[in-house]
Amino acid sequence: MPPLIEARELTKKYGSYVAVDRVAFCVEPGRIVGLIGPNGAGKTSIMRAVLGLSPYEGQLRVLGREPFRERAALMRDASFIADVAVLPPWLRVDQAIDFTAGVHPRFRRDRARALLAKTQIKPTHRIRELSKGMKTQVHLALTMAIDAKLLVLDEPTLGLDLLARRGFYDALVNDYMDEARTILITTHQVEEVENLLTDVLFIDRGRIVLDSSLEAIAGRFAAITVNNDQLPAARALNPFHERRALGKTVLYFENVAGAALAALGEVHTPTVADLFVAKLSRGAA
Amino acid sequence: MNTYKWLVRREIWENRAIWTLPLAIGAVLLLAALFGRVEFDVPFLAVQTHSAGALLLFAFGAVFFFVMSIYSAWYLLDSLYADRKDRSILFWKSLPVSDAETVIAKLATGLLVIPVVYFVVADSTTLIIAFIVSLRARTWLGASLWNPEIWLQLQVLWIYLILTIAIWFLPVAAWLLLVSAWAKRSVTLWSIMPPLALVWAEKMFFGTHLIGEALSDRLMTGYPATAFHDFTGSLAAAAQGTAAAPLDVWKLLAPVDFVASPSTWIGVAVGVALVAAAIKLRARSVEL
Repeated sequence: MPPLIEARELTKKYGSYVAVDRVAFCVEPGRIVGLIGPNGAGKTSIMRAVLGLSPYEGQLRVLGREPFRERAALMRDASFIADVAVLPPWLRVDQAIDFTAGVHPRFRRDRARALLAKTQIKPTHRIRELSKGMKTQVHLALTMAIDAKLLVLDEPTLGLDLLARRGFYDALVNDYMDEARTILITTHQVEEVENLLTDVLFIDRGRIVLDSSLEAIAGRFAAITVNNDQLPAARALNPFHERRALGKTVLYFENVAGAALAALGEVHTPTVADLFVAKLSRGAA
Repeated sequence: MNTYKWLVRREIWENRAIWTLPLAIGAVLLLAALFGRVEFDVPFLAVQTHSAGALLLFAFGAVFFFVMSIYSAWYLLDSLYADRKDRSILFWKSLPVSDAETVIAKLATGLLVIPVVYFVVADSTTLIIAFIVSLRARTWLGASLWNPEIWLQLQVLWIYLILTIAIWFLPVAAWLLLVSAWAKRSVTLWSIMPPLALVWAEKMFFGTHLIGEALSDRLMTGYPATAFHDFTGSLAAAAQGTAAAPLDVWKLLAPVDFVASPSTWIGVAVGVALVAAAIKLRARSVEL
């Protein structure tokens, strides 16, 4: 099967500012990919290009289509939630369902109804009457009722409290992901999506700095916690990042044999969040 | 076509004033007809009563027409801007609806749907008013209001107005949509300032006044002059009772002149270009 998303030399400029700089990546079917990067790294620019919301330079194919030129056709097979609270405030919940059912050939009205029946939201509610968390529930119910090949989530839980964020991901895991789905997700809250992801793409200053599956991370990256007396020996193995923790030092290594590290201290596989910090800390060792 | 049906329905959901405003006007006029004083002491000749009855109904129609023009312009100016202001554009763009379909649906709502809604409400209101007034004033005026001939003329006039206005004012509507798709804020100011700046610049650098004339022709004098035979003159004559014959809509309308006029089609061409530009802007409006 060809990749669902294929980017080569993908570039996005705003005037002279290069937000995305000749980026290449692929998203294969059935994967859940996290696009992770600090503010201003170019995440949103990549997402907008993928969703056909903005023009770009370079090559980009999403579900075999050119997103900017064929956005409407693309949206028959892909769906997205970009940011919270973008449902129009005047819209009633039943109108949202009717409208989506009217224009979207792959929308399943009964599924949207069933998802909303689990919540406190009534069909006659207007979006403006709902809390932020409830708005997100409505949007998620609409999106999950679309039988899409690709779901893109851009900071889907931004500005939500902890309960609403948990609710969002629980619904996604329990009511959506059981089928074979491909999801591309960006978020700052790395810890929250860590258990969902099959792949990560780290992006920094417009470039991809890590493109790996989670399985591959365990074989490729290692961290050791060492006492100060072991520090020079550990540094000799060329860590790419180190941080102080409770009088000890944690060092991060890429492609270094586990046996060599085990002699120096306690070896563990870094979490995605740790790896993110290690890879993207400015002025890292 | 199904998509357009839903897009127009969405416009009516969002802009409830499309139907609440004409209904409110209708209600006020109905109350006036029910409880207002009906008193006419000007003696009319038989031939003029016909015109007077028609004029009364046309005056009711004109109230609707006036409000409709202003509302429709406001609607077009706000329509694409509103989606960007409340960020709901990110929801609309997640659906398989093209930017062309969105823009054309809004254009059609402003130029056809809103006028047709006003037409239907104005029509039913004037019918009821004519009935009430003819009951209350059981005189020559009542009889002339309750008159199928006048009624038919009114229908023809409305339909003619809706069609010709949609064509003549296409470039104006398209300009309002373009501003709505583009401006970050103060859409009203942006809709007025660039044309005024052009008029000023032309006068400044070339000492001519061609753009200003073209604009005032398109906005004011051009339409009645192109679509009607002496519209204001006929109305004034009928009002003063100096018309030789009763007010006759058939003689007022100039469909052949309208279709044959180059200025009608220049306007259409400009309108189509502006709509195309608005669609282009809408495609990248998440960045604007």
